[in-house]
Amino acid sequence: MYARQVGDRTLTFLVSGKLWRNSLIMQDLETGTLWSHVTGEALEGELAGTRLEVVPGVQADWGTWSAAHPSTRLLAKSEPVSASRYQQYFDDPEKAGLFRGNWLTGRLPGKTLVHGVHAAGVAVAVTAERLAGGESLDVLLGDRTITMQKQADGGVIAWHEADDGSRHQVDVLEVFWFAWSGFHPYTTVVD
Amino acid sequence: MRMTTLLCLLMATVVLAQPSDPEVHGTFDGDPMYSLLPLDAIPAIREPEFVNGQAAHDQMHPDEPILAVTVGDQTHAYSLWQLDGHEIVNDTVGGRAIAATW
Repeated sequence: MYARQVGDRTLTFLVSGKLWRNSLIMQDLETGTLWSHVTGEALEGELAGTRLEVVPGVQADWGTWSAAHPSTRLLAKSEPVSASRYQQYFDDPEKAGLFRGNWLTGRLPGKTLVHGVHAAGVAVAVTAERLAGGESLDVLLGDRTITMQKQADGGVIAWHEADDGSRHQVDVLEVFWFAWSGFHPYTTVVD
Repeated sequence: MRMTTLLCLLMATVVLAQPSDPEVHGTFDGDPMYSLLPLDAIPAIREPEFVNGQAAHDQMHPDEPILAVTVGDQTHAYSLWQLDGHEIVNDTVGGRAIAATW
């Protein structure tokens, strides 16, 4: 996720209805600038060239997460939602994005779930299966060692350790391989 | 991305039109950007409301995937099944304005 503060402004993001590299483009209400929600970069408009600050989020399942973090405030539902509507898309190995793109490199099946980290032109994708056991995994991202681990609360986090021993959390995107490789065609894959 | 709701709506749009003729808004870094739906056709959440404790459990399946963020001593979570219908939540957590996107 991203910080909405850019300079002196707090932006409100809407769904533009536009699609780029099979991913949604956001438009802010304040300036009409178009933003990629994968890279956080403004592509067109008054703020073009600006990059949003990443705020690390974690994906997990409600049961495991809420047991570990009981004071969590949960977005209220105005009506019940269920998985069934989207489960077919999620499970179908053939349905991957609307427009065929660069992911047809065969390195992984398109619908493989990966945890991806990227920085300054380099990217690493680790399959969800590889991290499922909960053991930490070190990967090299450029010249920096990043440690990734699935936590007891179900979320996968990544960090790098600075010289003074302090840990700096790095954002991890949990996405399908077809979407990740569209943005990072030269990504290193760990499976 | 799990582009579920957007893709369901867009697939309906594409079925009606020729798949090779989506409106191109421009080319960015070598790839086309397609204009497929009007702005806010999928409504981002702008004024999120929250529940906790038993009220939260009552609206969730234990296996339901969530996105969670902690800023300071505040943790907010969003159901991904619910986010499928909105794609973006504009929220403030621990005093910090953030956008959760899916």
